Amino acid sequence: MARTDPGPAESPPPGPGTPPPGPGVPPPGRAAPDTGGRRLPRILHPVAWWIWALALATAVSRTNNPLLLFLVLAVLGYVVTARRTEAPWARGFVYYLYLAATVVAIRVLFRAVFATGITPHDHFLFALPHIPTPDWYAGIQLGGPVSLEALLSAATDGLRLACMLCCIGAANTLANPKRALRVLPGALHELGVAVTVAISVAPQLVQSVRRVARARRLRAGRSKGLTALRGIVVPVLEDALERSLRLAAGMDSRGYGRAGTASRRSRRVTGALMLLGMCGLCAGAYGLLDATAPAFLGLPALGVGALLCVGGLRTGGRRVTRTTYRPDPWRLPEWAVAGTGVLSALLLFANIGYDAAELNPSIYPLSWPTLPPVPTLAILLAGTAGFLAPPPTEPRAVPARRTEKAATT
Amino acid sequence: MSVPPSRRAARLTAALALAFAALTTGAAPAGAAPQPMGRCTTGSGAVLAVDFSRWGGPIYRSCGSTPTTGYELLNQGGWRTTGTGHDGPAFICRIGYSGYRNGTQFPPPEQDDCVLTPPASAYWSYWHAGPGADDWEYSQLGAMLYKPKPGSVDLWIFGGTDIGGTQGRPQVTPDQLRAHNTRPSGGGEPASTARAPALPPGTDTGPAPVRTEPERPTSPTAPEPPASPSPTASPSPSAGETGEPSESAEPTGSAEVSPPATTGPAGGSGGDTRVVDAAPAADAKHDAGSMVPVAAGGALVLLVGVAAVFAARHRRRGA
Repeated sequence: MARTDPGPAESPPPGPGTPPPGPGVPPPGRAAPDTGGRRLPRILHPVAWWIWALALATAVSRTNNPLLLFLVLAVLGYVVTARRTEAPWARGFVYYLYLAATVVAIRVLFRAVFATGITPHDHFLFALPHIPTPDWYAGIQLGGPVSLEALLSAATDGLRLACMLCCIGAANTLANPKRALRVLPGALHELGVAVTVAISVAPQLVQSVRRVARARRLRAGRSKGLTALRGIVVPVLEDALERSLRLAAGMDSRGYGRAGTASRRSRRVTGALMLLGMCGLCAGAYGLLDATAPAFLGLPALGVGALLCVGGLRTGGRRVTRTTYRPDPWRLPEWAVAGTGVLSALLLFANIGYDAAELNPSIYPLSWPTLPPVPTLAILLAGTAGFLAPPPTEPRAVPARRTEKAATT
Repeated sequence: MSVPPSRRAARLTAALALAFAALTTGAAPAGAAPQPMGRCTTGSGAVLAVDFSRWGGPIYRSCGSTPTTGYELLNQGGWRTTGTGHDGPAFICRIGYSGYRNGTQFPPPEQDDCVLTPPASAYWSYWHAGPGADDWEYSQLGAMLYKPKPGSVDLWIFGGTDIGGTQGRPQVTPDQLRAHNTRPSGGGEPASTARAPALPPGTDTGPAPVRTEPERPTSPTAPEPPASPSPTASPSPSAGETGEPSESAEPTGSAEVSPPATTGPAGGSGGDTRVVDAAPAADAKHDAGSMVPVAAGGALVLLVGVAAVFAARHRRRGA
């Protein structure tokens, strides 16, 4: 199938020139759009959602405060429910929530099993059987007493990672992955298949899980238990990977991965620039994170690496000409959504109006977390994307589309 | 597909109740004991020294009965540590003494948030000197695993080292910090009997106690020769006012402050760092905070959740 052309369910926004008559074919009997005081439905630019979500994930990385983290989850839930489309990949947010819960559970389990020690001031919960290790292996303890503090600190730590995962999940849910592919620089054509698979595999997985589960339900198969899990996992993985590959092949056939008119020399220059740039980025990241690394390895290496990468993308992109059919417009709502996300991240990094310690409430000794007003407002501000973005579809047009989609798949 | 809301709510309530109980109840006492400094001799007791000079403070030293662990020494008699969120309590990220600046733990949260492992350029490094040793040895074990020998000195300094511990070595010598009296002095009751609470069952606290020497309190006939009329450390948690190094604050006259702290041998290679004895003190009062922000946060999360449910309803109604 391998269609890059969006089907009816992923109706693109109207072009910049045409007046927006609502997405797709207007339902019969409604000549003029009756907005009823509401804004005209339109799909937000995928990059706007990605900027919003990545900025929120950056903001999350700053805090360990469970109140703020739960608030982020609530805000993500609200924005996703309010502004997701009816596309197949847009119903998968709950799977990201499951993944997040798994992350927290694994973190807590590991903290309990690989004991990090208990202090006399801690609140003892229970003791796991202790497996003694020889002296030369000191440093890793297996089993032993487990304290409430240890579990809580593991849980909040896991919750932070879970929140970041959910941010990415929200971006995958809200933004159309196929339209997001179009904004990638043309120079990435060397990596055409890899990039396509990388970007689309998560939404495809969600789609596959839903399809396989539905098929099992229709065949009255067991939908719970370990055997059912095996029956779901294998076809889902196979299906998702195959569909991603088919999408990549489809994009290939439409010229996405074509080498164009590149000469051997220009291709080598591009490759060298990209490789050097990537090395620079790696060295820069290492230098920034390791305080003992020499100074030139930090920001300078990062800057040089970024410049080389941009240069490589430029020279690579110059020989690939691409035309865009029905471009996604970037208008005020896009600015607003991306802006609220970036602003909330900036507020959480600015340390203005609150004590930085409030972002990381103490667990040793245990104390109630506080709710610093500025970060709270920043997260709520990111939540305004839920009504700053235009509604994605006309609610009343949905049932028709749903049946149509069911017929096509 | 999902847990029924009533059960989920019940679970949540149980978890909250547990957390609440933990925050409101105390812990039971017993364990390795803090001692006044005079009770440490050249062959018994372990000396703990912590260098607060980075924050304008002195080097505090105190004494604890052996067998103990480096961690227990650092968490009794008014001492308290904080671990990191990433590594747990075993990684010493902050150290505080209730007699110094009201028990504030250093480095303060503005300097290190203690979420991830601190950088090797700014952390509490751990040094040992065995009985009679002239030089410091960089600890190859964590505080929870290391068991100080009787008569040894444990030193914590803040700064940077390399992995082998060849750089960033302490400026003081072990001799400036160790106990020089051969017999315990300053007997009687310590200022505070606050000690670490009992460890939970199954905690590895090392070999059984081996008493080499009767630890009977001898009469305080030979007090340690006071080196100089010196600043006195006030172990009372209320004495140290904020921002004021506590050794300059006068004792508030509370009965707890019985053994006057003495300076150790001043001078030497240590330059101007003062060594102040830290008597066992009560733990600094810890304020668990109020529940109001939690309630407010919960209400806010609930509000946004209701908005999400409303949005979902709206969608379905429109569909």
